[in-house]
Amino acid sequence: MSKTGFILTAVFLFALFMGPGPGAMLIDGDPRDPAVWFGIPALYLWALLWFVVLSGCVVTAALTVWKKP
Amino acid sequence: MSLLAATQLGALAYVVLGAYLLLLLGLGLASLLKSRGAKNIEADYYLAGRGQGLLVTSLTIMATYFSGFAILTFPGWVYSDGIAPMLFALNLPVAAAGIYLIGNRIRKLGQAHGHITPADLISHHYGNSATLRFLVALVGALYVIPYVIMQIKAGGILAQGLFQDVEHLTILGQQVSIEDTGVAVLSLVTMFYVLVGGMRSVAWTDVVQGFLLLSAMILSGVAIVHALGGLGGYFEAVSRLDGRLLTMPAPGERFNAWSAVTFCAFASLASIVQPAQWMRFYAARGSDTLRKTAIVFSTVLPVCFLLGVFLVGLGGRALYPMIDGALPEGMSKPDDIVILVISRQFPEIFGAFGFLLIALILVAVMAASMSTADSNLHALSAVVTRDLYHPLRPGSSQNERAWVGRAVIVLATLCATGLTYWGAQGTLLQTITTFFFMAMAFSAQLLPLAIDILFLKKGTRQGAIAGLAAGTLTVFLFPPLGSLILGAQHPVTLLTADLKTLLDVGFCGIVVNTIVFAGVTLFTRPSDRPHPAVPATDQDA
Repeated sequence: MSKTGFILTAVFLFALFMGPGPGAMLIDGDPRDPAVWFGIPALYLWALLWFVVLSGCVVTAALTVWKKP
Repeated sequence: MSLLAATQLGALAYVVLGAYLLLLLGLGLASLLKSRGAKNIEADYYLAGRGQGLLVTSLTIMATYFSGFAILTFPGWVYSDGIAPMLFALNLPVAAAGIYLIGNRIRKLGQAHGHITPADLISHHYGNSATLRFLVALVGALYVIPYVIMQIKAGGILAQGLFQDVEHLTILGQQVSIEDTGVAVLSLVTMFYVLVGGMRSVAWTDVVQGFLLLSAMILSGVAIVHALGGLGGYFEAVSRLDGRLLTMPAPGERFNAWSAVTFCAFASLASIVQPAQWMRFYAARGSDTLRKTAIVFSTVLPVCFLLGVFLVGLGGRALYPMIDGALPEGMSKPDDIVILVISRQFPEIFGAFGFLLIALILVAVMAASMSTADSNLHALSAVVTRDLYHPLRPGSSQNERAWVGRAVIVLATLCATGLTYWGAQGTLLQTITTFFFMAMAFSAQLLPLAIDILFLKKGTRQGAIAGLAAGTLTVFLFPPLGSLILGAQHPVTLLTADLKTLLDVGFCGIVVNTIVFAGVTLFTRPSDRPHPAVPATDQDA
């Protein structure tokens, strides 16, 4: 596996664990006082952030690593 | 349904639905003309001659990936449970990666060896085994059959929603409900275009259906943001919602973090290896097509969910709140939220054009059901013909098998339609619904075999058979199937019910499947025959 491929795989797996998983429980606040960042529920921003990371990895891999024969 | 009645579409519903169905029939006929004179009849009927380009491949994969579930049930979950279900959408980039990493290898092998169904590739790799082929076909059928029936049923319910002003039709002196008429008409139209055009027809109609559905997802998001006074007003309103809707549920509760992780990692790939998608990989033109499809899939779909239809679920909760746990007027279930929002907001935003958009979105939801039903009907035909009929009649010609495949489509459509009419009286339809909710967990059991075939190449035939059987049986033990088979109070059902609150069912099946597969492989002799290698390039394939 190339260096780029290795980095993308590591970031992708980390994002897959942190995004929907336990990471979400670290930032969401308490049900009595839910976290709000910049006027937006933190959990929603969290979902958007990890979507950008995961999709970014797929797009980058498709444009670099997977392009090579 | 009271909500759908409020849309008051009148004649517009007939015009839009009529135009849509005519378009589908036209595409079916066009694909029939295109496939005339094909040399390889089976490859043409089941895989559109293995030449589908980017537009068709990406939209047919997306349209097959989600059903009416995407635009009704998913936002309904967000309405009732808050932001946590949104995190399940992170399975989409994982599926996108699978489209290239798994799908492209499947395509290369399929192209090199003439495979048509998943069992063709799997039994070819492990040496022809009737047991293995049957098991793979069974797992495929456990996914495909409930999907066909439930989507046809869903289409009928939506037809009833479109024509609320009509109580029933009188046909040959018999009163027939609009739902039953809808089921019959949609089944016949779907059967017709699958029958005449095969994969090409299914994929072309998926392009139309995919465009309709993606547009509906985005437009409904626009409607809710507008209703709450723009983005600022939207987020201000949703930030004031009950804190339980804005935080993650505790482990053991619905939509908890652990079930989200296992769902994103495994259910996404399970959807990628289900028979209809597997065949779409064979049908793709080349590596480049699937590489670009992965880009489209990983960007377009999550945007439509996270910036479109999910916003409706959350904003809908702020705009039409539940009072003392009861749904607001006009909603009979959380799934109604999208229809409620568009039916109240579109006329306000778009004026008279809004009514046309409402009709289009209702047709789009119907399209989502049809696109899933047609893909699975087509896959079922291939599985029965290639995996069951062909081994019984090895001397049958391609032409004969293509006709048997068409007969399967007619028979399956008639059975599915009949079941929605008569099965509803007893418990049969309820049982099928139970299987529908477990369908993805069954198809997930093909994943360990796919990983071994495409990457590891260590497993033996006996290991594959034992693993697949063990994984499939494990899924049967989980409720609601486990409760049906063993009883709700059986210790095994109680254990699996507990596990299910924490982890995705498909994942649990995969764990057992993999352990048994690896264990049996360790104690069995590998085949002397070399495994077919994945061709390095498209030219090699």
